[in-house]
Parts: sequence; C-alpha cells; structure tokens
Amino acid sequence: MATPTTFWRLAGMSYVQYVTRASSAVRNAAKEPAKSKLAANSKFSYNASVWEGGVQGKKVEIDVLSKAGI
Amino acid sequence: MTLNFNLPHETIYSEAKVSQVIVPGAAGEYGVTADHVPLVAQLKAGVLQIFHEDAGEPEKYFVAGGFSLTHANSVTDISCPEAVKLDDIDSSAVSSNFESAKNAYTSAEDGSAAQAEAQIDMEVNRAMGTAIGLNLN
Repeated sequence: MATPTTFWRLAGMSYVQYVTRASSAVRNAAKEPAKSKLAANSKFSYNASVWEGGVQGKKVEIDVLSKAGI
Repeated sequence: MTLNFNLPHETIYSEAKVSQVIVPGAAGEYGVTADHVPLVAQLKAGVLQIFHEDAGEPEKYFVAGGFSLTHANSVTDISCPEAVKLDDIDSSAVSSNFESAKNAYTSAEDGSAAQAEAQIDMEVNRAMGTAIGLNLN
C-alpha cells in the first residue's frame, strides 16, 4: 500500500527543497522589472565547518542545497 | 481583521486592516474575516486575495507556498518564501516553462529527484497559468 504522502517526499526531497524549487519557478515566470529584482532571492551562501575534538575543521562554502546535504 | 504578510526579503503588509483574505491552503482554499476560528495552514502554490476595506476588487498575489496562521484576536500572519503580483507574471514565460518542465518530466527516470523537480515546475507553472487565465495541460 502506498504511503500517504507527497510525491516530492517519495522522491527523497525535503520541504525546504520543495518550496525552494517552487519559489524559483515563480521567479522565473516573472516579468521585468520584477524578475531582475527577485533574481537575487535565489542565491544564498554560507561557510560551514565541522568541529572535531574542539578544533574547527576546514570551512566549505555552501551555495546550493545539495552541498548542505539537504 | 489585521493582516501581516511577509516574505523573507520584504514585508508586504504589517498590521494592515483588511476586510478579508482568501488563502490558498494546501488542503483547500478558504476565506478569513474578523473573528475567524484560529487556524494554521500550509499554503500551496496559488493565489492569495486581499480584500481591502472600502475597496472593490481584491489585490492578488501568486504565492509559491508558505504558511498562514490565524489567531484568536483576528490577526492573520502569512509568511511565504516568494510572492509576485498577478500583473507581474509573464504569460509566455509560464507557457514555455510549463512545456520545458513537461518534457523534463517525461524524459526523467520514474521516482527520481529530477522527475520530482520537473513535476514541481509543472504544477507551479500550471497554477500560475490558471491564475492568469491560461489552460495548461
């Protein structure tokens, strides 16, 4: 029996991935000047590092969800 | 009722007095006026309609998703990751993005993330098409 859930969950996506994709679809369909104004909203980046034994590891820049493991 | 409507990058309404909002809930569209029962709803990609006091036609936004919380004191908080006014939607972009997504869907492996992404693009573009009067299938 199929699990009662959404197609994106079944494909292994999280809600964050789903709503980020839906937001990009909306931005891609906008007219100018709204489209240029909203384009920057798709971008994000931060540095992540793993701490082990009280020592900070190498910083890695995360600018796509896949690099964050989400 | 009081409306707070926020996006991550912009506050559209803060403590605005409106007469009604029609919310695109994931489980169905519903209207909120003053004294509505408290309610938390996940939103689907669809049209949010804001009826201002003393105004005729509602102001319409297409929202990508998000959440709406209606509180016992007639305050409604709506938070969306992205929203555009219906007037800012490009109908030719919606049609062509829908067709690209449909092609990507049929050529992707069943149950794959790529197919799910194409399906999201199809569903959001189809909903935008419906909102602006296109019939995409």
